Amino acid sequence: MNGPKVIFTIPIFGGIKVSESIVNMWIIMAALAAASIWLTHGLERRNPSKKQLALEKLIDMLYGMVTDVMGERYIGFAPYIGTLFLLSIVGSLSALTGMRPITADLSVILAWTVVTFLLIQANNIKNHGIFGWLKSFAEPVPFITPLNIISEIANPVSMTFRHFGNIAAGLVITSLVYGGLASLSAAVFSRIPNDFFASIPIFQVGLPAVLSVYFDLFTSFLQAYIICMLTMVFVQGAGE
Amino acid sequence: MEEYLPFVSIDIWTMIFTWANLIILFLLLKKFLFKPVNKMLAERAAEIEDSYKAAGIAESKAENMKAEYEGKLLSAKAEADGIIKTALETADRRSDSIVTEASDKARRIMEKSRKQAERDKKNAVNEARADIAKMAADIAEKLIGKRFGEDDDEKLISDMIDRI
Repeated sequence: MNGPKVIFTIPIFGGIKVSESIVNMWIIMAALAAASIWLTHGLERRNPSKKQLALEKLIDMLYGMVTDVMGERYIGFAPYIGTLFLLSIVGSLSALTGMRPITADLSVILAWTVVTFLLIQANNIKNHGIFGWLKSFAEPVPFITPLNIISEIANPVSMTFRHFGNIAAGLVITSLVYGGLASLSAAVFSRIPNDFFASIPIFQVGLPAVLSVYFDLFTSFLQAYIICMLTMVFVQGAGE
Repeated sequence: MEEYLPFVSIDIWTMIFTWANLIILFLLLKKFLFKPVNKMLAERAAEIEDSYKAAGIAESKAENMKAEYEGKLLSAKAEADGIIKTALETADRRSDSIVTEASDKARRIMEKSRKQAERDKKNAVNEARADIAKMAADIAEKLIGKRFGEDDDEKLISDMIDRI
């Protein structure tokens, strides 16, 4: 199983390898920006269209979720949470179009969770001051400090592996199933004298689609939801 | 020759690109998605607030106008009553005066005609007296065969008649 393909290399700093994940992310960003412009085109205060009603409902749900989980004072986080959610879910669902999901790249997810980690620490410092923040590692008793630091670092690490692991595992299993079904087709139909018909991997029709409902649709949504929910909970918790 | 990154690896440049992309997408979505929608929602809320306010003002205005019209209606009714009352009084007065005048006139006419009748009667009586005196003088003359002075005769007879 390969990692993301290197699409091109920028010849500076000893060659910056730009992988499939980054290029796919650009495509997704362009699509999201275009969709945003289309959706917010011609917004009406009165008699909104069905398109606008759906958009309003989604935005309302996002703001409602941020308010419920984090509280009214963190409502400013809603656009970032929305961005993270859209990038994650569209990044995972892009697998349905045959693109390599950007969320199956450890570096991408790690970058997101590092942002979450920084937001957590920043919110802690903002609410408790720099000494309060440092002191929070030595609580409830000073000798537990190393464990607190480890647990703080474990947060982004576990979030990263959870998201990456789920999507990457789906990718691996789907590839394995496709490969296995192709071999099975070949073994069963190799007796057909016509080479063309013998080469059609007929067993690939059906089963992968069923698996895809779980590995692509369900997991994509769930992981996007989890990474956003954990980000909200941890950032809010750091402010308490 | 296709080159692949390892399946499980941390590539610092991928992370840097991801951070840059995250910030860019955040700004893009904020500008093209969240800002327009939130702006529209805020404007809608303001509009609804305004229309509630306008409705409240219109309601109190209508309430005031209603009270005003009711007051006006009452005073108009009182005024109409007054007008009718004066009109009735005037009409009463006028009919009284007309009736009085008419009866006066009638009385005057009656008086006049009574006086006329009296005058006529008197004239008739005088005439008749003169005729009778003349007739009596004529008769006496024929009987006696003599004639007094004409004037004396008639005077004599007229006195006689008065005494009868």
